[in-house]
Amino acid sequence: MSKKKMEYIENEKIYDKIVRAELLFMPLLIIAPIIVSVFLIYDWYTRGFLVNDPAFNIELILGVIILVGNIIFDVPFIKSLKAVSKKD
Amino acid sequence: MVNVVEKIKDTHKKINLLDFDAHWYRRAFHAFGATFLVYYMLPDLDWINLLKFWVPPIVVALAIILETLRLMGKIGSDHFFGLRMYEKNRVGSYVFFAVAILILLRFFPQQIAIPCILCACLADPIMGEIRNRFGKKYVYPIGSLVCLLFFVVTWYKADIRLMLLVSIVGASGAVIGETKKFWWIDDDFMIQMVPAVLLLIIWVCLPDLGFSYPDPIIYQGIWPW
Repeated sequence: MSKKKMEYIENEKIYDKIVRAELLFMPLLIIAPIIVSVFLIYDWYTRGFLVNDPAFNIELILGVIILVGNIIFDVPFIKSLKAVSKKD
Repeated sequence: MVNVVEKIKDTHKKINLLDFDAHWYRRAFHAFGATFLVYYMLPDLDWINLLKFWVPPIVVALAIILETLRLMGKIGSDHFFGLRMYEKNRVGSYVFFAVAILILLRFFPQQIAIPCILCACLADPIMGEIRNRFGKKYVYPIGSLVCLLFFVVTWYKADIRLMLLVSIVGASGAVIGETKKFWWIDDDFMIQMVPAVLLLIIWVCLPDLGFSYPDPIIYQGIWPW
């Protein structure tokens, strides 16, 4: 787990603060790339697909690459965010 | 009222029981970098151009100031989640990552910048995972294929000979940049800048090689406002 990889974080209170900060940052980390990929796919759909312009196909491919690439890494990241104890 | 206070305390307690895996956090952070491609989608409006000009360097400058304060000991490394042990006394990789993206967005044509940014954001964590799970010998072939895919996809509008040249040179540069480790400079910088510089040389020589410049990859958006 993470603490083993960050031995220099000796102060438990600071560690908890950092985790809380990262918890606030997490939605941006996950949602922003999804929004950008949706923008790319939407742009391809409105300016490429609907008017039959193949110049925008690359935006579709990029949108899919960004979406899939992020999902691949976000899923294990979210899974790693686990409740350590349910006793409390 | 007491009930609300107790609930807040309980929520705090639960949040403190959550644990992050720094390893997957770093991977997700890398993938998040692809978000910066939105830079090319922003419409050509005065106030947006102003933001495009000032916001990226300000963000990078803040990261550099923060990192300088950390290395000077003014801010403890304790406050930086996800840093590796070897980064404790060295500039953090996130600064290299941000500086390279800024240089690419500002000084390179998007046909070069986009595949290089994708290599850093997606190919780099993929290569890292391959190294962790299957060993170093699989990093070169699979990493090359992934990087090659990004260059082929982004240059598919160009002449096929040019696409092949750019893809092979770019992918080789990215894999070399990622796998050659230096203490003083991070691979997050090298994986972007090595292929970018190599492709810039090709880009400058394009007319002499008899090729025309390829069309943009991402077109500026036309937003309602």
